[in-house]
Amino acid sequence: MSFPHLHVASAYSTHYGVTLPEALAGQAAADGATFLAVTDRNGLYGAVKHVRACVAAGIRPGLGADLEVHDGDTLAPLGRVVVLAHGGSAGEGGAGRGYAALCRAVSSAHETTVRVPGHPPSIPRSRLAELAGLNSLTVLLGPASDVGHAIERRDNPLARATLAEWQRIMPPQSLALEVVCHLTEPGMPGSVAPATRMLALAEYARLPAVLSNAVRYGTAEEAVTADLADAARHLMPLAQLAQPAQAQPPNTQTEARPLQVNGQAWLKPAAAMRQVARMVVDAGQHSDGALARLLRDTHDLAERCALDPVGDIGLGRPRMPEASVIGVTRDPLAELWARARHGIDERYADAGRRGLTAAHDRLAHEMATVESLGFASYFLTVATVADLVRDMGIRIQARGSGVGSVLNYALHTSSVEPIGNGLLWERFLSPERQTLPDIDLDVESARRHDIYRKVFETFGASRVSLMSMTNAYRGRGAVRDAGLALGMPDAQVATIAKQMWRFNARDFRAALAEKPELEELAAEVRESSQLDLLVDLTARLDRLPRHISVHPCGVILSDASLLDRTPVQASGMGLPMSQFDKHDMDPMGLIKLDILGVRMQSAMAHAVEEHHRLTGEHIDLDRVPLDDPATFELIRSTRTLGIFQIESPGQMELVGKLQPEVFNDLTVEISLFRPGPMKNNIPLRYLEARHGEVAPDYIHPRFEPILRETNGVVIFHEQVMRLFDELTGCGLGHADVLRRHLGRPEQLSVIEAYVRENALGRGFDAGTIDRVWTVLAGFGSFGFAKAHGAAFALPTYQSAWLKTHHPAAFLAGLLTHDPGMWPKDLLVAEARVLGVPVLGLDVQHSALDYRVESVGEGQGIRMPLPELSGSSDAERARIVRHQPFTSLQDFRDRVHPRRRTFEALARVGALDSFIDHDRTRRHELLAHIQSLRGTAITIADDQLAFEVPLPVLDYEGARFDTVTSLQLRGRTQSDLELLDTGLAVAGHRMRKYYPLFAELGVTPAAQLATLPGGTDVLLAGVRRATNTPPMRDGRRVVFVSLDDGTGPVANVVFFHDAQERIGGGVFQTELMLVRGRTRRSGARGVSVTGEGMWDLVTVARDRARAQAKALKAARAAALDAEPSVAEATAAAAARPPMRRAAGSGTTEFDLWSTQSA
Amino acid sequence: MTQIVDAPQFEDTAVIIDKAVQVELSADGDPRAFVWDRFEHTVIGQPQAVFTRTRWWEHSGTPTRIDTELWRLDAAKGGEDQHRYDLRHDADGTWVLALDWG
Repeated sequence: MSFPHLHVASAYSTHYGVTLPEALAGQAAADGATFLAVTDRNGLYGAVKHVRACVAAGIRPGLGADLEVHDGDTLAPLGRVVVLAHGGSAGEGGAGRGYAALCRAVSSAHETTVRVPGHPPSIPRSRLAELAGLNSLTVLLGPASDVGHAIERRDNPLARATLAEWQRIMPPQSLALEVVCHLTEPGMPGSVAPATRMLALAEYARLPAVLSNAVRYGTAEEAVTADLADAARHLMPLAQLAQPAQAQPPNTQTEARPLQVNGQAWLKPAAAMRQVARMVVDAGQHSDGALARLLRDTHDLAERCALDPVGDIGLGRPRMPEASVIGVTRDPLAELWARARHGIDERYADAGRRGLTAAHDRLAHEMATVESLGFASYFLTVATVADLVRDMGIRIQARGSGVGSVLNYALHTSSVEPIGNGLLWERFLSPERQTLPDIDLDVESARRHDIYRKVFETFGASRVSLMSMTNAYRGRGAVRDAGLALGMPDAQVATIAKQMWRFNARDFRAALAEKPELEELAAEVRESSQLDLLVDLTARLDRLPRHISVHPCGVILSDASLLDRTPVQASGMGLPMSQFDKHDMDPMGLIKLDILGVRMQSAMAHAVEEHHRLTGEHIDLDRVPLDDPATFELIRSTRTLGIFQIESPGQMELVGKLQPEVFNDLTVEISLFRPGPMKNNIPLRYLEARHGEVAPDYIHPRFEPILRETNGVVIFHEQVMRLFDELTGCGLGHADVLRRHLGRPEQLSVIEAYVRENALGRGFDAGTIDRVWTVLAGFGSFGFAKAHGAAFALPTYQSAWLKTHHPAAFLAGLLTHDPGMWPKDLLVAEARVLGVPVLGLDVQHSALDYRVESVGEGQGIRMPLPELSGSSDAERARIVRHQPFTSLQDFRDRVHPRRRTFEALARVGALDSFIDHDRTRRHELLAHIQSLRGTAITIADDQLAFEVPLPVLDYEGARFDTVTSLQLRGRTQSDLELLDTGLAVAGHRMRKYYPLFAELGVTPAAQLATLPGGTDVLLAGVRRATNTPPMRDGRRVVFVSLDDGTGPVANVVFFHDAQERIGGGVFQTELMLVRGRTRRSGARGVSVTGEGMWDLVTVARDRARAQAKALKAARAAALDAEPSVAEATAAAAARPPMRRAAGSGTTEFDLWSTQSA
Repeated sequence: MTQIVDAPQFEDTAVIIDKAVQVELSADGDPRAFVWDRFEHTVIGQPQAVFTRTRWWEHSGTPTRIDTELWRLDAAKGGEDQHRYDLRHDADGTWVLALDWG
């Protein structure tokens, strides 16, 4: 006979349960169970996984939640209970009603955390009673309930009274008592005595009693892991948790015991549970047949709580928002047809008759699938959201395979034209695809939350929820929590945690044995039994769910039944969040829309806005022609810093080699620069064919139309699909299935047989089939959907266009929203090189973000107030509100800056307008500010006040000309800016080294491109980026991008041998001097292979010392000689000793001398 | 019926045995009899199991169990008076007759 477990916490009860639902279901089924419930704490976090695991294991699932209950009026806690959903087959309860009531109960418990801030999730009992009506729920009152607490204290009258209260409030037949016995020592919670008293109470009250094991883990062995979970939950070492009461955290009535009494809360097999039942019954005075009754009642309740995955939970049934919500009054399919046809006519108005016909044909093809799958509402819904975003004036761009659909293009969901770009509908949706479609929308990151709120407002909170994500333990977290449980010193644990990377925590022991860099730790582990234990415990925690948080972009859209199908809780941003994660969406039929914030979209929007503010002109980026020669010229020059997707050193190099000429080249470029193609040497093969070094190999003339766009090299998923279709005639939908299976080695032989058989029949010879199969099998699943590439290429082109034609506005956008990989210093340097002055902080002009200002004929960028470190939001807001200021007094009166802010503003020159922009008077200004005492007198805006010129007259005169502030003395404007804003805009920070560079013969970065390959050079600059891109042979290559202020960054590549020679400096030195050799990459690209490296600061210092010493020695030697001779000798000594021979680098260093002048 | 909560009253008369014994289990998995000193002792009534936590983190090695399993039962050899015994079931599967409560 089997035993149905009704009270089981899965690992999704974070820091409590420790076994994943799949393991629990598998274990139950193996023991012969036909039913298993999962009742996670405070939610249904593991519910969908549990139901699917039960379906897979062939048993019936039950669902419930372990919830705290309180009195709705007094907030008095009533302990924890288990709320179980009834199945639809359980008598009068309609299908799905029990599950819906459970979802609502969980959501209600979480509402309390919002209504009573600081309160843990807890459901008011009256609400629970309401939801339990219509025979939808059973509430189990067990040891953790108020009834159970009274039983534990042997207070029978109280137990009876509290139970009577439950019986009074709850609907009939919604209560059962839960008997739990963990066979603990007599006198402890979980022993047989309270269990047998609970059974007696049920007999007294004529309520069913059910046996459960309040399960927290699958096997007895996992009790150790549960101990770790307890320690992590209480943030306290086990030794301390195991202390008697005084050392333990406050043990409120409802909180689980800090540490389990013993290790018996496992998913015991039926025989062991019957054993427990016998002991419980035997320990008390019970009527005849008590044992059989207990087990029978348990089985009966399980029967009522068995849920039908489809009928009760709605598994696999997609639900879209109702047509009326998206403004559709007729049949959604007819509406979709009408909108799509209209959209095609508009989008392809200039495409000519044939183009238009082709688009309509493609639409008909796509609509046939949409109709057969019943997804019309889905497309209308996504289009509605896209319209919503656009109407808010926010930039939006579809990404992902949905870009391959002409339907999405017609609906303006996507802005990439699919047919001309060779994108396929079947990569997105086909009858062969088993999953719900997925369209990702990229929006301005700065407005993402506004969009979420708008979507909630438009669709209603009953249909929308944010999606959650489960964060699991990884190495470092696992070792920290394991170390905490063992009470190890923080510093020791932190040291170990730092080494926990590049391997999985569950492979910790194997890693210790194998990895040379862990040898020292391995030796310590061998010495210490505590460390040895730590290794095991860390491995146990790995992969366990740790906490849930809001997913960064997932929005769930559904019909009004959403909250009957998913419980929700408040997310950090206040909006409700589903307790289900992305893996639960498809099975639950929930439509998820990824609305992802992309900073580049914000940056471009800022640029467009700035341009409009300054000129009144409106730029519609989405209508910019995609064939602007100047834009491509800029891209080909590799000056791609700041341009979406192609600004990294590796990308710069590839762009230089590839020399893009048309939009499609950008799609190809972006698709090539990915780990899969890089590892398989695809870029090189493509480049050789592109530049005519080898003839394109199309394998067979029938493949030429498919492979022509990439010169015979297979790059895109779409090409693989079309090859499959051409070879076998399987249709593009099935071709996509084959393509996805390429990634599974065990499927390869099946696919190969299928391809060979069909291709022969379609007229391909064996040799061709051999060759094409080698290509396909080698492709695996690594490629990239062209739809993704094209969707990325559009913002790439748009940002390049902005950089070409509106550099000031574009850079202002980049500086404000910081979308890329480069630090602001480098963007500022780039601005300078592009001839766009970056203007310093000025309280008269600086705003809250980077703004464009007219400077003479051109435009400059004004540094914004938030760049000043240490100033407060309020101060900045006051500055902006009161600009401009008539005097320093006026500024002080209206802004009330704190002294720190005031002085910092003076130091960086933001107050220079009050001293006629005479930098020398800053000393005086600062002295004046420092002399101010007390708080400023507040003068109301409407009150007349004296305008006192400041600094006041008293401070003028000869005496004050000599004022010198120590804070200013000896510091350049760049130094001051770096100090107070971290960003030097007045000049480049390398400038002070220019004389040294000239002396040493350093090649300016701007001149690198003029040198032939193989030239020995010295480079210097400040490190702006360090990259270790994926490499074909797997050896690490380090790219260091150096900025010397003369132009684009110089990229230095350190190969393995150089890294070994140089050591840690490759990663640590900030200002560096590098010796290397130029390496040409394509027509325009050049980089430097680094051979040696020095710390620039040390070089400069040593050199200054050596010169001083030489000077001194020369003077001493010349003391007796003629004065003129002495001078000449000294000058000779001070002269650079290692000036290089002309021609060894670039000729001479005019650039340095002119720039440093 | 066994009254395990009363156990401490026997403490004065408890005799430490600490010998490995052979235990025969019933179909339900409860100890039914054990052989000690060549004599078979038959269990009377429902034996009670008690699991007591260990401070496993103070020992070396990761334990497979965090508690020790002890069975308190009444048993008699032949026609003699029944005694109360504590049988310990170790993780390696051996049974140890720990105490004779008298």
